[in-house]
Amino acid sequence: MTEAVVSPGRPRRPARDAGGAWAGLPDALHAEWTKLRTLASTWWLLLAAAALTVTVGAAVAATYQCSGGPAACAPAVTDADPAKISLTGVYLGQVIVALLAVLAVGGEYGTGMIRVTLAATPRRLTMLAAKMAVVTGWTLAASAAAVAGSLLAGWLILPGRGLSAANGYVVPSLANGADLRAFAGSVLYLVLIALLALGVTTAVRDSAVAIGLVLGLLYLFPIVSAVIPSHTWSRHLEQIAPMTAGLYIEATVGVAALPLTPWQGLGVLALWAAGALLLGAAVLRLRDA
Amino acid sequence: MSITTPFRSELSPGRDGFRQLLHAEWTKFRTVRGWIIGLVIGLVVMAGLGLFTAGSVSSSCQASGGGPVRSGAACGLGFALGPAGDPVSDSFYFVRQPLTGNGTITVRLTSMTGLLPPATPPANQPSNGPLDTRPGVEPWAKAGIIIKSSLTDGSPYAAMMVAADHGVRMQWNYTGDTSGLPGAVGPQNPRWLRLTRSGDVITGYDSADGTHWTEVGAVTLSGLPRVVQVGLFAASPVDLQSQYCSGYCNGPGGPTQATGVFDHVSAPGGAWTGGYVGAGYASGVGSYHPAGGGFSVTGSGDIAPIPPGHGGEADSAITVSEYLLGTFAGLIALGVVAALFITAEYRRSLIRVTFAASPRRGRVLAAKAVVVAAVSFVVGAVAAAFAVLAGTAITHARGYYSAPVSGATELKVIIGTGLFAAVAAAGALAVGAITRRGAAAVAIVIVALAVPVFLAISRAVPAGAGDWLLRVTPAAGISLQQAYPRYQQVASTVYTPLNGYYPLSWWAGLLVLCAWTAAMLGVAAYLLRRRDA
Amino acid sequence: MEATIEVAGLRKRFGPAVALDGMSFTVLPGQVTGFVGPNGAGKSTTMRVILGLDAADEGTALIGGQPYATLRHPLNHVGALLDAAALQPSRSARNHLLWLAHSQGLTGRRADELLTLTGLETVAKRKAGGYSLGMRQRLGIAAALLGDPPVLMMDEPFNGMDPEGIAWMRSFLRQLASEGRAVLVSSHLMSELQDTADHLVVVGRGRVIADKSVADLIAAASGDRVELRTAAPAEAMTVLAHAGGTVAAVAADLLTVSGLSSTRIVAALTAGHVPFSEVSAHRASLEEAYMELTRESVEFHAGASS
Repeated sequence: MTEAVVSPGRPRRPARDAGGAWAGLPDALHAEWTKLRTLASTWWLLLAAAALTVTVGAAVAATYQCSGGPAACAPAVTDADPAKISLTGVYLGQVIVALLAVLAVGGEYGTGMIRVTLAATPRRLTMLAAKMAVVTGWTLAASAAAVAGSLLAGWLILPGRGLSAANGYVVPSLANGADLRAFAGSVLYLVLIALLALGVTTAVRDSAVAIGLVLGLLYLFPIVSAVIPSHTWSRHLEQIAPMTAGLYIEATVGVAALPLTPWQGLGVLALWAAGALLLGAAVLRLRDA
Repeated sequence: MSITTPFRSELSPGRDGFRQLLHAEWTKFRTVRGWIIGLVIGLVVMAGLGLFTAGSVSSSCQASGGGPVRSGAACGLGFALGPAGDPVSDSFYFVRQPLTGNGTITVRLTSMTGLLPPATPPANQPSNGPLDTRPGVEPWAKAGIIIKSSLTDGSPYAAMMVAADHGVRMQWNYTGDTSGLPGAVGPQNPRWLRLTRSGDVITGYDSADGTHWTEVGAVTLSGLPRVVQVGLFAASPVDLQSQYCSGYCNGPGGPTQATGVFDHVSAPGGAWTGGYVGAGYASGVGSYHPAGGGFSVTGSGDIAPIPPGHGGEADSAITVSEYLLGTFAGLIALGVVAALFITAEYRRSLIRVTFAASPRRGRVLAAKAVVVAAVSFVVGAVAAAFAVLAGTAITHARGYYSAPVSGATELKVIIGTGLFAAVAAAGALAVGAITRRGAAAVAIVIVALAVPVFLAISRAVPAGAGDWLLRVTPAAGISLQQAYPRYQQVASTVYTPLNGYYPLSWWAGLLVLCAWTAAMLGVAAYLLRRRDA
Repeated sequence: MEATIEVAGLRKRFGPAVALDGMSFTVLPGQVTGFVGPNGAGKSTTMRVILGLDAADEGTALIGGQPYATLRHPLNHVGALLDAAALQPSRSARNHLLWLAHSQGLTGRRADELLTLTGLETVAKRKAGGYSLGMRQRLGIAAALLGDPPVLMMDEPFNGMDPEGIAWMRSFLRQLASEGRAVLVSSHLMSELQDTADHLVVVGRGRVIADKSVADLIAAASGDRVELRTAAPAEAMTVLAHAGGTVAAVAADLLTVSGLSSTRIVAALTAGHVPFSEVSAHRASLEEAYMELTRESVEFHAGASS
């Protein structure tokens, strides 16, 4: 090893740092961005999230079949929602989005690197805010790609499977207000899923437990609300379930019959994400690293 | 000069065997507090959700035509109970006369016709007007002869009939069903039917010509009174079929009716009376007319079991699948613990210590798999037993109705849930050994186990695709929880995964799950041997 | 801002276990301060509290007069190496330093400088997960020096190093101190610090037992005892006791005397005609001094081995 010469002369004496509580945010953001960008798994996961969403959506759209002509395939008969069918892949894509967010925090706790991070950015909430921003950015990009691909697949496939304009359907298109809400809302949905996962992981500090909790929260609610015999409870569970309520945003057919409006539903998921992040922030602030 | 003797440990050498390995892995498992907490959480959530189900059931009802709104147990059941205590529909048009002691009834059925609801829902169907209908016979519409112990709903019976698309059948006590002559009935193709009572034994015969008779079946209806009702009947179940869609269709459906034309009626004698049995459950369409030395009987409704399930006719019957709705909460907890059982060793490099102590890595994996499978079996079976038994007890205590299952079925479901948990957990361990990362393993396990079930029961994918997911993914193991038989003589929308009816039989489901776990363990064992620890 | 670490009255419990029990000391610039004590004495906890990673129940830890958490770019004030393995294995060394640099508003050039300085430039693109312990240690040092800080803090830096590495680390720490930095190095082995540390903070059971320069510590442990080798120990004891000394027999021909200077001992023995072959001042080793100090505070005594 070379002789240890760190810098010529005496070490510099840094001036007392000025700035408010969030003054460190730009540097923290830069660091978190570099951190996530330099993990190969980030890129793979984002690619997988988009690819899985589009593939599953296209496959389900291709499975759909209504061949009875305009009368038998009328929207009132089939109850089919072309936008929601196109977006079926979100059910699986969200797993990878959640995994990405879980690993962004859990990977640091697993290796102990979180201590290096917090030594470099001692204002913990600044660090958390930076992580939130970077994960949001990455997820936004991947979700937009995933949803755009799903839209394209639905637009190409569904008319050939009986959900055509001739049969009275609105073929998914961004020119349509309800469709625009479904597609833009799905992007927001995926971002909120990532934030929920980020909050949960910050609170429990273990990747495996966190992904189990997040996916359990997402998939168990609808299983329980579907099976539970009490209609009252079923409806209440749907209203508070992060996935079920959150995905009301995808509905373009039968919106009036939903237990919540689409934006209220997305709001429920936003509350879950906010709750998880608050919990995570509290644990981060109060517990030793 | 001293001579050094080689060092010899004074510890007596342990036996080198799989049992020791198992013991070591069990010690490793039980000494991590977080894993034990995980198991307890899984058990409590799974059993607790079953109790929550039992406690959350409520209903309210109001007699038709007004009256006080009643709630809870005061509502009573919306269906009749058969001789075995299970939900049945018992509504049909009955042209009858009493029979004292032994006797025989013989008829010839010359035609069956009927009406079906419209193929597509009319654009502006008046809600109270006459239904738009079209001619046609519901495939399980029935016309024939019956010996019934009384006119009470759900009372024992035996019947010979022609089912529109299913030939001659002998049916008894709602669930019994045997086939006789095949083929549809018509003027050129009449069917002769005969029922003979001799004590408690009723024997059914069919014939194409009235001279050559074949015994279709003989059944014992124990406790049959001396005077029973014999006669002709017609019934036609509600149409549920959607003919055009394979997707998300909730197509047209509605009440149907069937008319059977009988002649050569030979009965002990006495006056014929026409009337409905169980009119409250049918559309009430029914009549009979003398026709050419016989009768034309028109009826609606069905004499059949009601498969228990959520959203069906027996909606207020709580089912075993509903008590078990927490299964996936338990499975997720077990999956996390099972995956961590090996990924935690990788994270802390403990795996090197493990492999240094037991260099045969395949055996280490096997020992770990046995430990997690055994623990998961206990957790799954105990939670299932608690959910089903305590859930049923709570339902009964609150005055509600649990769709009954035999003790053997309860045992099958409880053991089955334990097996599902055990094999799934062993698979989760294998995935953990393959990925060596806890989070990835847990995500994969949940996608393989819980997501197919979610997609199938939430109808997020078309029903056909959902069924396939429950055939080919590890989630097929849920077939082990099917508690109620699927009756082929009842066409029902209830037979869906949502209501606890799965596309595979229990053993086929177990086989699919085992195949996945075996494949994962095989890959894991190969990778463990090939990769550096 | 002074390049110092000031720790005052730190207390911390982990459930029933007391980790810190009034820990107080100051680390001054321009010297290497050894932070020694048996395992479990509270060294790592103290360092984590200094870095704001753990919160103390009571007391303060200041860097140049400021709490760590208020530092805008803390790595410009303190560089710390707590655990060389604390990095994500799939990220390369350069990228590890790069995100750290970005967190301090520094650029990738600073990261490259440190890779060169620590001799990692040839392996900088490799995944850090594949590094040997020594390479990780160097990467950890590079990270600690990233902000060119006036204060450095290292937790057990000699652990797992080969003799060559230990020699390098010693000269490296001395060099950092000679540049005017305050250097705090923890160790549970006093011998590792023998020729490195100028000052020692000895801790046990969560509190400071001794806070002295190395020279003072050795002198204190040596006391004013003199060793005397003689063929006539009985006579020597009588004579020296008369002269006012306290005498103890160590071996058949060896005595230790305290309360008398070696000059007076020689005079007394000569006057009494007692033969002796050697009179020497007793000098304790650092290890001995340390053992003496920490005897009561060792938490885990090794069990009697069979």
